[in-house]
Amino acid sequence: MKQVTIALAKGRLGEKGLELFKNTEMEIIKDKNSRKLVFENQEESITYIFVKPSDVITYVEKGVADLGIVGKDMILEEDKEVYELMDLDYGKCYFAIAGFKDQTTVKKNDVLRIASKYPNYVKRIFKDRGQRVEVIKLGGSIELAPVIGLSDLIVDIVETGNTLRENGLVVLEKLDSISARLIANKSSYRLKNKSIKRILKIIGGDQ
Amino acid sequence: MQYKTISEELVALKFRKSIEREMEEYFESMGYKIIVPDMFLSFDDFLLSKVRQDSEETVKVLGGDSRIYILRPDSTTNILGKIFSKWEGKPPLKVYYNSRVFKNTPNGNIMENHQMGVESLGDNPQEADWEILAMAITLMEGLKTPYVLELGSSKYLDSYLKDLRMDNRDELEIRGLLAKKSRHELEAKLEGLGLEDSLLSVILDMEGSVEEVIQKARSNYLNKEMEASLDALESLTGFLDKNKLLAGVDLDLSMIPDLDYYDGIIFKGYCQDTPKKVLSGGRYDRLTQKFGVSVSAIGFMIDMDLATQLRYREGRL
Repeated sequence: MKQVTIALAKGRLGEKGLELFKNTEMEIIKDKNSRKLVFENQEESITYIFVKPSDVITYVEKGVADLGIVGKDMILEEDKEVYELMDLDYGKCYFAIAGFKDQTTVKKNDVLRIASKYPNYVKRIFKDRGQRVEVIKLGGSIELAPVIGLSDLIVDIVETGNTLRENGLVVLEKLDSISARLIANKSSYRLKNKSIKRILKIIGGDQ
Repeated sequence: MQYKTISEELVALKFRKSIEREMEEYFESMGYKIIVPDMFLSFDDFLLSKVRQDSEETVKVLGGDSRIYILRPDSTTNILGKIFSKWEGKPPLKVYYNSRVFKNTPNGNIMENHQMGVESLGDNPQEADWEILAMAITLMEGLKTPYVLELGSSKYLDSYLKDLRMDNRDELEIRGLLAKKSRHELEAKLEGLGLEDSLLSVILDMEGSVEEVIQKARSNYLNKEMEASLDALESLTGFLDKNKLLAGVDLDLSMIPDLDYYDGIIFKGYCQDTPKKVLSGGRYDRLTQKFGVSVSAIGFMIDMDLATQLRYREGRL
């Protein structure tokens, strides 16, 4: 069977993805403190590469990785041409519009300022509603933006809502649900179909 | 591509040209005649035709008459407009093109893509299907790289969905999920609609070797049109098999065409170590009605930028 390359996000999402291969022929032994980014299993049927979470989709779309494990949030933000073969059912959270209690998510005839790590997603959501927005792209600490007056609202992923609460914010509206997904390059899916189907079986798909 | 020296560039250009010539000769030997699509199109006409949705991507030019024109965004519809303004549908017409299309990319660059392709118009549908597919596969073989030709029929799914008479928005969503092969989201959606036992819940498994897939499809729900689409696929693959062209073909009945004017056989060619499809095409009889005629029409396009890269990499002429 053909060798398959899978891109995993560095950090929790990727580590958990690696666990799916535990006790199978595709398991690898990885030292937690290792800085190495490329690993192969013993029989060299699979190569794992560890990349920045937001880059997983790019690696897969460009075909340098055949498969990838990535959060649905990134898929919605990047909107790239890949297959979403499996919902891995972990890393669960959801997109939400958050702000102060009793705040509305509409601003008629005016521009709504929204801080987010996901500018493309935000633009799409509000374009569908006909609401004009200014998206303020931030790299982190999104919750701070409304508090210090940088934005009216935020759009972010919410797991427990603790961070929001501690900063005096609430969820105003739930948007898409998120979980980890197994994605595939469209060309690889055809050219390495047998190997990919085998991997789907191993990580508990229903085929 | 950028080259360090002019001699390098000339070598690459010569290589590229030789592949073009080879393909042109092949198309001519098959009885196809060259046609040249127009470079500039009226933006108003483009918007009115509503054949494509991507008007934002088109490259605009201001004409001397202060009207907006666009650089051709595709070849097929352009050629059809040209042909149907002076052709009544008989006798059959077979043309090929060697042209470039233009679009704006999100990062602000204008992208140029070199395409070659063929269109077979007004021919007997079965014979045209056979001929076009045989040509597509011959070209894929010519790239001298392992490939898979993904083959399906949009009629199979279309006529099933028509039977279900579901809400337009639900249907669009289901098509979107099938296009992404998003099995779990599809299951959830079907459950919500009470369709968890329908054909849609197994259609993503209807892919793989021709025999297997046809058998699976025949043992599932079928209406007349679906049956006809399977018959057409079977006769086509039978013909390909007889001509030893079937080895690289995979059937996929859940294929969603990239352009919604396809109605019938659709196919995409993928090559090893090339992340995007190199070749794509299908039957588009319905589209011809937009031009005021109704004839059998099928064609395909090969991405010459990718094809040249592939051949260059293999170092084979």
